[in-house]
Amino acid sequence: MKVTTKERVIEFRDALREAMCEEMRNDERVFLLGEEVAQYNGAYKVSKGMLEEFGARRVIDTPISESGFSGMSIGAAMRGLRPIVEFMSWSFSLVAADPILNNAAKMLYMSGGQFGCPIVFRGNDGAGGQLASTHSWCVESLYANVPGIKMAIPYDAYDAKGLLKTAIQDDNPVFFLESERLLSTKCHVPTEEYTVPFGKALVRRSGEDCTIISFGRPLHFCLEAAEELAKEGIDCEVIDGRTIRPLDIDSMVESVKKTNACVVVDQSWSFASVGSEIASQIHAQCFDDLDNHVHRVHSDDVPTPYAYNLEQAYLPNTRKVCEAVRQATYNS
Amino acid sequence: MPIEITMPRLSDTMEVGTILHWHVNVGDEVSAGDLLADIETDKATMELQSFDDGRVAELVISEGNQVDVGTVIAMLAEDDEAIVEETPEKPKPSIPKVTESAHRVSPVARRLAEEYGVDLLSVQGSGPSGRIIKRDILQLIDTASETTAAAQTTKVVPAEVVPSTVPVTPVQQVLPLAPTSPWQQNRSEPLSNMRQIIASRLVESKQTIPHYQVTMTFDMDPLLEMRKTLNEQLSKSGVKLSVNDFLVRCCALSMETNPEFNASFGGDCIHYHGPVNVGIAIALPEERGGGLVVGTIRNADQKSLRTISQESAYLSNKARETGLSPEEMGDTTFTISNLGMFGVDNFTAIINPPNSAILAVGAAIEKPVVRGGELVVGNEMSATLSLDHRVIDGAMAALYLKTLKELIENPASLLV
Repeated sequence: MKVTTKERVIEFRDALREAMCEEMRNDERVFLLGEEVAQYNGAYKVSKGMLEEFGARRVIDTPISESGFSGMSIGAAMRGLRPIVEFMSWSFSLVAADPILNNAAKMLYMSGGQFGCPIVFRGNDGAGGQLASTHSWCVESLYANVPGIKMAIPYDAYDAKGLLKTAIQDDNPVFFLESERLLSTKCHVPTEEYTVPFGKALVRRSGEDCTIISFGRPLHFCLEAAEELAKEGIDCEVIDGRTIRPLDIDSMVESVKKTNACVVVDQSWSFASVGSEIASQIHAQCFDDLDNHVHRVHSDDVPTPYAYNLEQAYLPNTRKVCEAVRQATYNS
Repeated sequence: MPIEITMPRLSDTMEVGTILHWHVNVGDEVSAGDLLADIETDKATMELQSFDDGRVAELVISEGNQVDVGTVIAMLAEDDEAIVEETPEKPKPSIPKVTESAHRVSPVARRLAEEYGVDLLSVQGSGPSGRIIKRDILQLIDTASETTAAAQTTKVVPAEVVPSTVPVTPVQQVLPLAPTSPWQQNRSEPLSNMRQIIASRLVESKQTIPHYQVTMTFDMDPLLEMRKTLNEQLSKSGVKLSVNDFLVRCCALSMETNPEFNASFGGDCIHYHGPVNVGIAIALPEERGGGLVVGTIRNADQKSLRTISQESAYLSNKARETGLSPEEMGDTTFTISNLGMFGVDNFTAIINPPNSAILAVGAAIEKPVVRGGELVVGNEMSATLSLDHRVIDGAMAALYLKTLKELIENPASLLV
C-alpha cells in the first residue's frame, strides 16, 4: 500500500484499545470487564479513557476473582452479550480454568447447538521480565490442546488491532494472547477500519534456505536471527502464524517445501506443545521435502526463573534461533 | 535360538564400521575364534572373530557397506537349527533394508536423487553419520552438468526439471579433443575411511596449530659407517638396522633434555608425557587403498637399536599386510616422517596431533662438504622439524636439533 500522507504510527496497546472501542461503538452487546480496567485505566493502560466514553455499565471493574468474573461473563455470552474479559495476566487465568475450558470451550457442543459462547479472553501471556515462575506463564500450548476455542497471538500493533476486531466479531470463545514486552512497540496502523482474518499466516521475511515459524513475541528473535544468518549466507523465511487455532499449516507446508528445512520457535515448554504439534504436522506433510528433521526452540523445561540472567538463559533468544537454523541446515 | 552378530565397537571413537570382506559364506560351519570378516573402522582395518559355534544362517550386511555399531550384520544358527533360507514355509517379509540402509539419506536428497537419476551409492554424504543431504546431491548435479557439457557421458539427466539456463548443445564445438584414456577422464571416487580421517585430522592440525619449521643438516658419515659395521656383524642374527631406526633412538634420547618435544598443548596448560612413544609414518601400498598410518614404538628411549629395528619392521609389515590395531598406532608423543628412501632432499611435515612436533627426514646424500677447511666428499642429511609454537619456541627447536646433531654425529653413545 502506497501511503502519501504521513503514516500514522501507534503503540500496540493503543491498537488494542482502538479495536475494542470500535467494536463497542459498532455493537452495543460488546462490553469490557476485568481487574482495574475502568477507574485505573487498566493495569497496562490498554483501556485508558474507555470508562469515560462507555460508562461504568460497559467498562466494569471486577474483584480479584477470575473464576467468578469469567463464569459470569460466560453466562452473559450464552444469553446473547459479547463480553471481552481482560486477564491482567494469563497466568491468573489458571484459577478460572474450569469456566474457560469446561464451560466456554464446550458450551456449543454440550448444549447441542442451543448456546454459543461469543467471548474474548485477553491479557498478557509469557514472561514479562522477572515476574517469576507463577506469573510468567505461556498458556498457548496448555490451552491450544482444547477443542472448541480459537487462539490468536499478535506480533505487532497492526495485527493486534485487526486480529482483536476479528476476535470480538467471532461467535466462538477466543483466547487472545498479548505480550507485555510488545505493548510499547509501534507500527503503522491505518485510521480506517480493517480486520485481520484468523487462519492466515504472514510471511514476515521471505527466504530460500530455512523456514522459521513462530508466534508473537519470539518473532522478534526470529527476525533478528534471520538478519544475523543472512551475513553467513543462510537465507531464512520467517513465518508469523498469527493464530494457533485455526492453524495455517498450509502456508507453513508451502514454505518448507521450498526451503527443505524448518525451525519452530515457541516460547512455551517443549513437551506436548504448539511447537511439537507443528513439527509433527510438517513431518507428516513435508516428509519427502525435508533435508533434516524439524528443529525446535522453546523455553527450557523448568519453571521460569526469577533471576534476570537465568530468565534470559531460559527463554528463546536470537542466539538459540541462529544455532537451531545452523543445525537444521547443516551449517553448524 | 539364532545368534545375532552385531557390528562391534573396535575402538573408543568408533561409531560406524564397513564390512570390507566376509571370510565366510551362508551355510559355513564356524567355531568360536574363527575369522568372520574384515571390518574397516575410523582408525584401522580389523578382524572380526566369532564368539560362538554355529552355522552361518545369513549375512545381513553385504561387503562394502557401512553400518552403525550395534547393527546386526550376520546371523548364526546353532547346531540343529534350520537356516532361514532353507525353510520354504516361512517366506521372509521382504523388507528393503540392506544395501541402502547403510546409506543414510535425507528425504529431500533421496527425492532429488530420483529426479536427477543420481546413484545414491556413489554419493559421499556430508551430514551427520555420513547422511547424504540436499547439498551433496546439488553439488553433484552442478559438477555433473559441467562435465556432461564437456564429455558427452550423461550420467545425470535432469529430466523435466532442466533449469532453462543450462547450455545444452553449442558447447560441443569448443571441444575438438579426441576421447582420452580412462585416467584422463574426469571422475570422482568416494573417500575411504582412512582418507576421510587423514583429511579431517590434517586440516584440523594445519588450521589450529601455529606451525613453523626449523631445518638442520647432519654429517652422516659416522652413523652410516657404524650402521655398516653393525649390520655386517649382526647379519647372521637377522638384524638389519635402518637409518630411521637410529633416528628413532636419537629423537627419543633427546627428549630427556628437551621435554617440550614430548608434550602436548592443552589449552590452558602443557601436558608433559612420561613415556616417550615415537610414531613412525608408514605409507600404505596402493592395492590396500593407499594412505598412511603412524605406528607407535612405545618407550623408545628405553629400547636398544635392535629392539627398535625389530618393532619398526614388524609395524611396517603388519601395516602394509593386514593393518595395525589401535594399540599399535595410538598414544604417540612425537612423530618421524622419513622420505629419505625415496631420494627426497628435504620436506616439511604436518604435525600429528596431539604431538607438538614432527621431524621430516630427507635422504643421506653424498656431496662435496667442507671438513676442517678441506673440501671432501661426505654424506649429509637434512631434517626439518615442524613445531607447535604454542609449546615450542625457535630457540628451543634449535637446542633440540643441536642435541640430535650431537647424537647423530657421535653415534657410539647410541649403543649404551
